[in-house]
Amino acid sequence: MGILRFLLRRLLFAVVLILGVSAIIFFLLNAIGNPIDVMMADNPGITDEALAAVKAYYHLDASVGYRYLIWLGNMAQLDFGTSISTNMPVGGMLLTWGAETLKLQIPAILLALLLSIGFATIAAMRQYSRTDFTVMSAALLGHSLPGFLLGVLLILIFAYWLGVFPSYGAYSTRNPLFGSTLADGLWHMVLPLTMLTVFNTATLTLLLRGNLVDVLRQDFIMAARASGLPERRVVFHHALRNAIIPVLTYLGILFGLMLATAPVTESVFTWPGAGALYLAAIQALDYPVIMGETMVVTVMLVGFTLLTDLAYVVIDPRIRLN
Amino acid sequence: MLIAFIVLVALIGPFLAPYAPNDQSAMIEFASRGGPTWAHPFGTDRNGYDVLTRVIYGAPTALAVGLGAMLVASLTGILIGGVAGYLGGIADEILMRLTDLFLVIPVFVMILAVVRLFGIVVVGTWLERVPFLNLATIVLLLGFFGWPPIARLSRAEFLRLKGLDFVEAARCIGAQPSDILLRHILPNAMPSLAVVIALGIGGAILAESMISFLGFGDPKAVSWGQLLFFNYQVLKVAPWAVLAPGTAIFITVLGFNLLADGLSDAFNPRLKQ
Amino acid sequence: MTDLLTVDQLRVHFFTRSGVAPVVDGIDFTIGPRETLGLVGESGSGKTMASLAILRLVPPPARIVGGSLRFQDRDLLALDDAAMRGLRGKSIAMIFQNPAYSLNPILTIGDQLIEILRWHERISVAAARDRAAELLRLVGIADPAHRLRQFPHEMSGGMKQRICIARALLCEPALILADEPTTNLDVTIQAQILDLLEELRERLHMAMLLVSHDMGVVARMADRITVVYAGRTCERADSRTIFHAPLHPYTRALLDSVPRVDRDYEHEARPVLRTIGGRIPDLADPPSGCRFHPRCVEATEECARLRPELLQIAPGHFVSCLKRGSPGIPQG
Repeated sequence: MGILRFLLRRLLFAVVLILGVSAIIFFLLNAIGNPIDVMMADNPGITDEALAAVKAYYHLDASVGYRYLIWLGNMAQLDFGTSISTNMPVGGMLLTWGAETLKLQIPAILLALLLSIGFATIAAMRQYSRTDFTVMSAALLGHSLPGFLLGVLLILIFAYWLGVFPSYGAYSTRNPLFGSTLADGLWHMVLPLTMLTVFNTATLTLLLRGNLVDVLRQDFIMAARASGLPERRVVFHHALRNAIIPVLTYLGILFGLMLATAPVTESVFTWPGAGALYLAAIQALDYPVIMGETMVVTVMLVGFTLLTDLAYVVIDPRIRLN
Repeated sequence: MLIAFIVLVALIGPFLAPYAPNDQSAMIEFASRGGPTWAHPFGTDRNGYDVLTRVIYGAPTALAVGLGAMLVASLTGILIGGVAGYLGGIADEILMRLTDLFLVIPVFVMILAVVRLFGIVVVGTWLERVPFLNLATIVLLLGFFGWPPIARLSRAEFLRLKGLDFVEAARCIGAQPSDILLRHILPNAMPSLAVVIALGIGGAILAESMISFLGFGDPKAVSWGQLLFFNYQVLKVAPWAVLAPGTAIFITVLGFNLLADGLSDAFNPRLKQ
Repeated sequence: MTDLLTVDQLRVHFFTRSGVAPVVDGIDFTIGPRETLGLVGESGSGKTMASLAILRLVPPPARIVGGSLRFQDRDLLALDDAAMRGLRGKSIAMIFQNPAYSLNPILTIGDQLIEILRWHERISVAAARDRAAELLRLVGIADPAHRLRQFPHEMSGGMKQRICIARALLCEPALILADEPTTNLDVTIQAQILDLLEELRERLHMAMLLVSHDMGVVARMADRITVVYAGRTCERADSRTIFHAPLHPYTRALLDSVPRVDRDYEHEARPVLRTIGGRIPDLADPPSGCRFHPRCVEATEECARLRPELLQIAPGHFVSCLKRGSPGIPQG
């Protein structure tokens, strides 16, 4: 079947991409400076034994190419090595910390999607009206507002001045809110979640409304109305379905970059997630973590892009016959 | 249009920067962390610098970053995309795969790592004395990783344009391929490209500010992101030191987004029948 | 026999920031229960707007601002939204100009047809599917069950138009509004579709409003004809009269500009095909008085000053032209 072949080709290409990126990452990071030299330069007091241990573990005597192959082999078996700073397996660290990040990112994207559908629909249905203008202006502002500025503002207003929400961390160390860890966790999530959702909602609204307006102008929409269908059904069942297809690509990217955009958010809110982990690793020159996480981010991006392509094939009948 | 006006303000504002009379390093220590007063309309920051001055001085930095990064990205992108679109065939395939490859690299995290490592490696070498090395590195990296979208678009544009009649006509007169590319196709591709470039400038400025905010910026350069990083700890007592540069970033990025929007409207008029 | 549909002095205006354009400024016609009325005019004459107005689907920023619409003795302008929706697709159905774009590209034909059926009538999905298949057969589509499962892009233009016709017939409407149903089709297909429409009209006893700029199409199908120009009625009569004894200068010019097999052009005074000089007026700034006067060979000074009203010259024959005796009212 044509579809199967198409998917296989995409899968193969995805694998090639990942390999390619892994090569770039590895050589870039290691070529800038031999890890040993770098670590010594940063931490002159490092002991010879520590150095020797690192050397042996990472085969740093061997050439760069050889090291790359070993590392790649380990990656393929999902062995991310051991963190230099914490001595814990990197894979496990990524999972735990990553979970915290996803706890924020996934709801943010989903919430943004829902909200943007609402806003875009309202705006498109009343095109050129004051409502439309207000919604779009708000969206443009939200899209241009730097995320971390919003985060800072939120902390300033709600945490410092109003004292309603906590300004850092994911959990309270003492006295969890209402005595329940769940409520406490949620309470801590509110501000960072808002920060993430605003930007995503704004961008999605801009995209969706543009598409919706185009779709609503089409003849088949008028034909649907002429057949007696109520406006609500026309907009949601006919127009929105068509309009949302191009948005899938962007959604895929959003999901793919969940870990990549984390460092800033987690820095502002001191959130213990994968982003914070990455920042710490960079500071500490913890190579395994750095490279491992970068690879995970890449795989996520490639993976979700692939998923999006798949989704297109399933959802848009026009693409199937190719 | 309204958009153009706002953009003008955003663009001209930064250029007024060199007029600021105060020495930016004036250590007005006695009033450190003070609130906005007449002498210091935006207050003072953690070390006693006048916030307003530093924000103003951050403007040319921001522009340099944005334009510099996009210059690198555009040149690379247009070159690669244009060649791919014009030549087609195998060259196209290869170049496009290359583009896909770079598109997938997690730019932000990579830049963080590279900047940090580079900073360490450079210590003790001649490079260390290059002024604003850190900043320059960031700019170059942003450009280096930022070309794929431009390449994509320019490829599409070149592909579309090369099939048009006027190109055929030029070829019939015996014009050289390089001539065709530069004088005929490129100018016609510029409108669409300009939109993406405008967005890119805003994006680059934003990216640099985020990088600096996380602490990986150039401590010697005055950039808004640096200001944010520098003053974040005193957020609670001196919020203005953080809000001012932050707002500056916001307005500038908004300005470029509006510019892109305005350009897009100008080039693709939607006929309101 | 009372008329099925009466449109009287319909006015639809287009409201933009730069002004108001009177796109439809006095169009009238009536359609009897089994009649076909041809609405003829150049593009931009307001005929499509008029047909949309009947369904009250005039798109903003345009709005119906005057005139009356009566269907089956009900005032259409007085109905609320729910009542209007009940009429659309059920008692009055529409066929659009461009079959390629009149169907939702991401839904199957079956889905789209069944949806309409189930909205208007309480029947099960299976029953709806059967009825849809039956209608596809009626419009000449073989293997309906297979087609129902297909998507629009898998079919030719002619087939898509047949499906659009089937869609209009789903609930056995009393009136069909056909807006340039053949304009965007290949010539050979055009003939087929027209054959189909004629056949269906006979079998199902429907009334039809046939909007077209093509006199040939109208000649074949219409019982009576209304000619419009720049949003106003020029002439109304039965087909025969319009074609053999047209009165309004515009009607005459239209007919003259269509090449006819039975005319001997070589021996006429000017052996060329006549065209109508000038252009369609910009409706945001229309000509004063009679809208056609800038392009009319018989125009005089009063034609630019007075707006002609419809005059009944003979039973069933109306003209609005000062030169034919219509009264005029001063109008800019």
